[in-house]
This record gives sequence, C-alpha cells and structure tokens, in this order.
Amino acid sequence: MSQKPVAASAETQDLVITRLVRAPRATLWRAWSDPEMLKEWWCPKPWTTEVRAFDMRPGGAFHTFMQGPDGGTSDNPGSFLEVVPQQRIVFSSLLLEGWRPATPWMPFTAVITMADEGQGTRYVATVMHPDKASRDRHEEMGFFDGWNTCIDQLEAFARQHPAAA
Amino acid sequence: MANQSALLANVFYALADPTRQAIVGMLGRGPASVSALAEPFAMALPSFMKHLSVLEKSGVIRSSKAGRVRTCELRPKALAHAEAWIAGQRAAWEARADRMSAFAERHHQEELDREPETRRRKR
Repeated sequence: MSQKPVAASAETQDLVITRLVRAPRATLWRAWSDPEMLKEWWCPKPWTTEVRAFDMRPGGAFHTFMQGPDGGTSDNPGSFLEVVPQQRIVFSSLLLEGWRPATPWMPFTAVITMADEGQGTRYVATVMHPDKASRDRHEEMGFFDGWNTCIDQLEAFARQHPAAA
Repeated sequence: MANQSALLANVFYALADPTRQAIVGMLGRGPASVSALAEPFAMALPSFMKHLSVLEKSGVIRSSKAGRVRTCELRPKALAHAEAWIAGQRAAWEARADRMSAFAERHHQEELDREPETRRRKR
C-alpha cells in the first residue's frame, strides 16, 4: 500500500519539505482531515480557502478555491490517490474525482507523511512535478496564467519569516 | 546566490498582489500602453501607477515613453526561469508546512489548556 515516491532526479524537480512538529500525530491528522481545520492554514492570510470538495478516499475529490482581498481567486480541483489514516495522504491536481484526467495549470502530485518522532511528529511533504520537458511546454502554454494563480502562496514567502519548526 | 534570492523575493512580492498579477497576465499577451492596462481597473491612476512601479522595480516589467504614451512590456527573464518556477513552488509549500505546523501546535496547546485534568493524569 505504501509505495515510496519515485526517486528524485535532477529532471523531476521534486520538492521534499519536512518539519518536526511539536504536536501528536493525531492532531496533525485532524488538521489535515477536517476541512474546517484545513482551511485555517491552507493558504496565507488575508486569502481565504473554501473547501469545495473533500472526499478523503482514493479517487475522492479534493477541491479548494481560494480568494484574496482584492478579488483574486485560485481554483484548485484535484483528488486523493491514497489515504492511510494518521500516516499518509497522496493527492494530485492531475486527476479529478473518480480518477478523471485533468490538465491543471499547476501539475503536481503530493505525498504527505506523518510519523512519531520523539515527543512530536515528523511531517514530510514530497511534491512531485512533471519532468523538465513537460514543464517547459507548460510554461510556453500558459506560464503566466499558472503563475498568477499560485501567487497567493508566495505572499507568505515574501512577507513572513518562516516559523521555527 | 544571496543576490539572486533577494531578486526572487522581490519578484514574488511584486506578484503577491492580484492587481499586479492581472497586469502581468495582460502583458503576457504583448506590450500595452499604461492607459490600456489601467482601463479594466476601477482604480485611481496614481494607485495604478504605484502597482506598475512595483512591477518595474522588481524587474518583472519595463516601460518606455514615446511622446505622451508610456508602453509596458514583460521582461520574461525575470520569471520564465526554471529556478524561479521551482523556487516559487518551494516557497509556497514551505510556507504551507509552516502554517500547518503552527496550526497543529497551537491546536494541541489549546487542547492541553482545556483539559488540565487529562494533562495531570499523563504526568
């Protein structure tokens, strides 16, 4: 059930983001699996997240819609691929509900894992993007449109110092 | 390298505003005059010019004046860079991990505070 993500290579541009969180695994799981909680942290303030679909099982829809203070929006449909309670969540923008293929502006598959470590929880997000060739093609096709809608997330990068993990 | 990430931070900041995102989107279709760019926005011209100025200072766009018409265009090199693309994604996911961590830790602390009985029993 729990395959490892495909090994990273220079061409795939995988991101591996890890935090040691001072909270039990059950709390992280609730933050992720309860849409009311997820929307509290999913996008940076003052943007808000609307969880339009959240069917946490393989092939179930995972659809967020974000809105900024000046009317900017970011629509992100996708689906869950794998769900192992309190351990692992795999979701993608490349497949919609019922595994229907999509051509998203930002193609990715993300693997989230949670494991006990010391008094806290080791949280790892592995975000896989298409290989360089398809990314470049994507860039030619509509780089700016794609870029525009992911900016809400970048706001945090520009304005905040990362919190201590 | 430090300079490059400062540059990227400027670009991200410039693009963190929906109005500026829309301007960049419009310029993605080709150069345009300031008045043509400003037209769709219900915004006073000085405010609009401020947005253009932020974009220009970050290197995302450049402008030139011919007679009374100022024309803006994208400087694609500021953006269409593989490093910028992936750096942007990294920044977004790092920030999201920070928010998730902070949320879980705060939530956990609140639960502890609400249930002093449980906490004492655990000790």
